[in-house]
Amino acid sequence: MLTSLKSWVRPDSFHAVLSERSVRWYNACLRITRDPDLAADAVQEALLKAWDRRSEFRGDSELDTWIHRIALNAAIDLMRRRRPQAMEELSAELPMAANSPHTEYVQEALNRDLITAMQRLTTMERQTFVLKHIEGWRLEEIAESLQTNANNTKQALFRAVRKLRVDLHVWRGES
Amino acid sequence: MISDDDLLLYYYRDGLDPTARARVATALAKDPQLAQRLHRLVAQLDTAAEMPDVPVPAQIQQRWQAALATRARPRPSFRWQAIAATVALLAVLLTVWISMKPAPEQVAHDAAPAAAMADSAAYERGLRWHLANTEQRLANLDSAQPDERARLIATIIDQNRMYALAADRANEPQLARVLRAFTPILESLTDERRETSAADVAQLSFELRVMQARLKAEASPSSTAQSTAL
Repeated sequence: MLTSLKSWVRPDSFHAVLSERSVRWYNACLRITRDPDLAADAVQEALLKAWDRRSEFRGDSELDTWIHRIALNAAIDLMRRRRPQAMEELSAELPMAANSPHTEYVQEALNRDLITAMQRLTTMERQTFVLKHIEGWRLEEIAESLQTNANNTKQALFRAVRKLRVDLHVWRGES
Repeated sequence: MISDDDLLLYYYRDGLDPTARARVATALAKDPQLAQRLHRLVAQLDTAAEMPDVPVPAQIQQRWQAALATRARPRPSFRWQAIAATVALLAVLLTVWISMKPAPEQVAHDAAPAAAMADSAAYERGLRWHLANTEQRLANLDSAQPDERARLIATIIDQNRMYALAADRANEPQLARVLRAFTPILESLTDERRETSAADVAQLSFELRVMQARLKAEASPSSTAQSTAL
């Protein structure tokens, strides 16, 4: 959904984007924080920040993308501020696929392994991996957001990838 | 030998210098097994990214909608509120200052030289005009263009400093201090990002009320009698 600058300044169009895209923002923040409360707070913070700065939105990206990015930065910032409380389990929140019993079993097993694999990453490794592989940020952007340098970011990414490959190799038939 | 780390950075098109990038590209073109290795690597990482989305709890959605609705509700700008508060303060200051002035008959009984009395009268007329004029200018400030607004505020600040000096010379230190206290508030009206002026306005409002209360107390019959006895 491409929201133009003119319609964007209207609250109703802002609410429309919220209804349409908030699940994506929330889940992106959840991958960064692993904490549902922090993720919810990050999205709210991003929404209000985006609303306050709506005059800065140039329309050269989609509104959704703009808020998504603000939300991720808010999530990282909240993690930095409230990190001690930010390591809650997510397993109870993962949805079950409404498929055959076998598919459900496989999906559940994959989810479980994903959770385990992600838990073995440090916060910086997880955030770097999510921002790089899932969100497609540049290494320099990640480094800036995580308040480190590009080399540290690169090394954190390599470590994350090695750990994930060890934990998830069975799901891609690698022997 | 191309490392997995280099393969990964090649895939991301990020973090490899042009030479290293060209080296990986050449190796990939020559070696199908290397290309397969890259494919497997990316597939594994994609698996890691496959964690399904969880639904947003309804109460969280409602909270976001409510927060946004509250924030998006039209409200007066901070600058407008600050201007209104400053105008109100000036009105109070004008009232307080007028009530501070001695009654005409009291002035007549004083044995001040004629020249000093003329100076004092000019100062009072000027200050009265300054306060009333400032109040009027501030009331029209929000409709002015930014450049014009900045110029008007700078003029008011200059005049305010001048009358603060005059108040010092007229032996009215309390009034001089209050006039000087207006300067940071006036300066804040040119800077929308400044957040301290609300507190400044509140503090000044409090000081004006104290000054007014003191004047009332001094004007009461008992204190007048005491003052006469002294």
